[in-house]
Order: sequence, then structure tokens, then C-alpha cells
Amino acid sequence: MMAGFLKPTEGTIEMLGYEPTQVDELRSRVGVLPQDAVLPPTERVGEFLVHMARLQDIPKEKAEEAARGVLAEVDGREWWSVKCASLSHGMAKRVQLAQALLGEPEIVLLDEPTAGLDPRVAYEVRQLVKTRKGRCTMIVSSHNLQELEEICDSAAILDRGRVVASGSISQLTNASEEVHVKIAPPLTRGEGAYRGGAPPVPLAQIRELPMVKRAEFDDERMELVVYFERGSVDAETVISHVLWVLLNAQVRISGVSKGRGLEQRVMELT
Amino acid sequence: MNPLSEVWLILQRELLRNFRSVKGIVLALLALLGGSGAAMLLVKFQQFKRTQLPDITPEHMKELREQALAQVYDPETAKQLSSSPEVLYVVLMLTVWLTPLLIVFLGFDNVSSELQHKAVRYWTVRTRRGSYFIGKVLGLFATVSLITLSMHVLIWVVCIARGEASAGETFAWGARFWATSLPMSAAWCAVATLVGSLFRQPVLALLMICVAFFSLWFLWAVGLAANVEGLAYVYPNYYDKLLLSSKAWTAAGGVAACLGFTVIGVGGGTLIFARRDV
Repeated sequence: MMAGFLKPTEGTIEMLGYEPTQVDELRSRVGVLPQDAVLPPTERVGEFLVHMARLQDIPKEKAEEAARGVLAEVDGREWWSVKCASLSHGMAKRVQLAQALLGEPEIVLLDEPTAGLDPRVAYEVRQLVKTRKGRCTMIVSSHNLQELEEICDSAAILDRGRVVASGSISQLTNASEEVHVKIAPPLTRGEGAYRGGAPPVPLAQIRELPMVKRAEFDDERMELVVYFERGSVDAETVISHVLWVLLNAQVRISGVSKGRGLEQRVMELT
Repeated sequence: MNPLSEVWLILQRELLRNFRSVKGIVLALLALLGGSGAAMLLVKFQQFKRTQLPDITPEHMKELREQALAQVYDPETAKQLSSSPEVLYVVLMLTVWLTPLLIVFLGFDNVSSELQHKAVRYWTVRTRRGSYFIGKVLGLFATVSLITLSMHVLIWVVCIARGEASAGETFAWGARFWATSLPMSAAWCAVATLVGSLFRQPVLALLMICVAFFSLWFLWAVGLAANVEGLAYVYPNYYDKLLLSSKAWTAAGGVAACLGFTVIGVGGGTLIFARRDV
């Protein structure tokens, strides 16, 4: 809807003060990477990008330069003369991303940018998105919540078409209010094995730490959750103190995270 | 960017796309082969007439042609057309009747395939929906016109080489006949793109364009059989009668009628396309 592909059944949408269908006003100001849009198979990558650039009102003499620029940005310099039909899924996705970046748009809409990509290409696409930070606003629509947590500053969680939560990633995940520590099962054999069952999590000691507001241990999930006052101390300081106590008590740790993770938050809200 | 520039860019792309696609090349070759084959047959027929009917003078032959043409056209137009090289007139008729077929096969997927694979989304964020649609219609029209022109030029060459008519006569009549086919082609292109753009599956678009074209032809045929001239007006090829008229006003009426078809097709298609989800 933000790209003007679909009409809203009710309400209105504005992009930079205009309706998404006001193409002339939004030309070159909004770039879009549609999720399932196939590149025209008979066209060569270079001529497709030049055609797109020309439609964005980039002058003829600069269109090729702009097209080559975005293609280089997605690491596809050598694909200029390749037919779109010959591109692999990952290459095609990067060309699609390149067309979205043409003309230095103010807003870039990315619809499931890494869906169906192999891990390496997905990683490269994420890095690419990160490199654009500060140059434009990128709006990513994705079901990959770990990815969103990694590349986004803010998020809005939608459930059946309604926004159920929105804010910065740290707000949404409570990253500045709680720390999660995954406790590993104790070693039962060999050197360093703990005699007499699992070492108890020193919950009382943790609760006594000055910055800790509350601490809970979930036996089933083997997870320690430590709550602290937002703003009075940072998560890193809390983690250092909690880990110190746990290590002194010979507790084995398998993971530490700030907040509860976007995935967990989405599960709670939807 | 003004809409005209958008249309121009899309038209250029369509031309390139059509002439580079296997389908476009095959259809162009078939049209050329068909046209030149027909021309050769006609020339053979002319030779046959000359050798088998030596008693008939050219003047008498012209008279016979005039009488035959008067069955379709007004007497003045029939008289004028009877002096045209016969080969060129027959090729015009072939063009008029075969162009809709060429348009069906060239144009059935020009919007529907981009809707099916959502490639249209690359354009709709950059161009007005109306420009996209008009560009598609004009692209198809330009492709068809160039294919028919090459077919006509080939036949002009055959006509001159075989001495059927002088070069001046051939070019004058040839250009007029080719130009006559253009308004009708434009009308068919608009109707085909309008119908084709309503469907996301190219196969369905192909089927529905065929149904639409056949329906128009059927109404025309019923109109002729039942002597209800009003029904025949819905068929763009009906207007060749007016377009070939020796009277300027009548010919202009034919152009206006075909343009009316084109405007309705393009206008309706643009309105629907602008309101639909892509």
C-alpha cells in the first residue's frame, strides 16, 4: 500500500506528504524493492537499470552512470550485459535492490529483502542495507525477526492489519530493562564435572546486586531473567556483575542477551 | 517528468522488447513470408489472366474491377480504386483481415505477463499508470505498423520488379493503402490491450481477446446478414469502406470512427488500470 500497489480498504496513506499513487511528486524520492516481482527476462541488467533511471527523470547522459553506480553498490558490476533471465535468485535480488536504490531516494521500501536467499547472499544483503544507514530511511517488511533486530533501529508489530506495538528495537525488546542468561546443564563426567547435581543459581546473591530490581529463574527453560531500572544503569554493566556472580558459583552459561528478543515480543503481542 | 516523456520511454522499450522476443521475430517473419507468398501468388494469377484471357483489354479489365468494387464501395470510390494496382489492393485486404490476428498474438501478454509476475511494479512506482497503459498500446501499434509496413514494402518491390505498375504508382497507392490500415490497427491494439490488461494470466488474456475480437466480428456479420447497419459499426474493419473513400469527409469519418474506438479502448483501459491493484 505504501508503494501504491494495493489500495487501502479504508483510511489514507501519505508518503512524504503525498499519496503513494502521486508518482510524479514521489519520483526518485521513494525506492521500492517488491518481494515477488520478477525482472523482465529478455532485458539485460544494464539496459533495465538505465530504463528505470530514465523513468526516474535522471537525464540520459547520467542514467548509465547512475545505473552502473547502484549495480556496483550491490557488487554486480560484471552483470551489466547479462540477461535478467540468466541471473540466479540471489543475483536477481541484488539487481532488484539496485533498482530500488537508483537516484538516491529518501525512503526505500524493502519487502522481505532476504526471503528465499541462501545464508551467504542474505548476509550480504543485510550488510548492504546496513551500509545505507544515514543515507536514507529504509522500511523493511519481514517475517525474519532476528534479521529485523539486527538491521533496524525501530519496528512496528502488526497483527491482522493493526499496529499492536511500535518503538525502537530496544524499547520493544526491553533491552534496556532486562537481561536474559541461559544456563547450561552441568557437566556430569570428566574433569570439572560438578559433584552432587547441578550447582544452584545464586539467585539471592544476584538480587542483592545494587542495580538489580528483580531476578527470576525459570527451571524449565533454564533461563535467568534479571530486571533493572532503565536509565540508571546500562545493560552491559548488569551483565558483567551478574556473570561475575554466576561464574564464581561455577554455573555454566550458554548464552546472554539483552532484552527478550523481538520474536518473543511478537509471540507475546500477537 | 511529463506524461509524454513517460509514454515515449515505454514505447521505445516495447518496440525493443517486441522485436527482440522470439515471439515478435517469428510473427514478423511469418507476416513477411505470408505477405510475400501472397504477392507471388497474385503476380502468377495476373500472368495467368494475361495469357488465358488475351481478349480482355486492360480497359475492359478495369471496368470489370470497377463493377466488382462497386458491390462494396460507392461508385466514385470503386472507380478510383479500380485504377490501383490489383496486387496492392489485395495486399491491403490481407493486411486488414490478418492484422487483428497479429495483434492478438503480439499483444495478449504485453500487460498480463507483467501483472502475472508483478514486474509491472517496477513501472508503477516510476510512471503514471495512464502513461504505462498508453505506452503499451502505442508500443503494440508501432510494432504492428512496422511489421505491416515491411510486408507492404516487400510487395511494392515485387510489384515494381514484375512490372505490375510503375514505381510512382506503386509508392503512391502502396503508401495510401498502408496508411489506410493504420487507424484500424490502432483500434484493434487499444481493444486488445484493454481486454488483455484485465487478466493476470496471459493464457486467459489470449482467450478473452480472441473472444472479444470474435464477438465484434460476429456482430458485424449479423449486422450484414440482418441488414442492421448499426451492428456493423462495432467492428473496426468495417471502416475500411469509409477510409478508402474518394471523398475526404467520408475518409475523415472513417479515421474519426477508428480513433473513437482507440480512445474508448485506451481511456477505459487507463481508468481500469489506474484503479486496480497491481
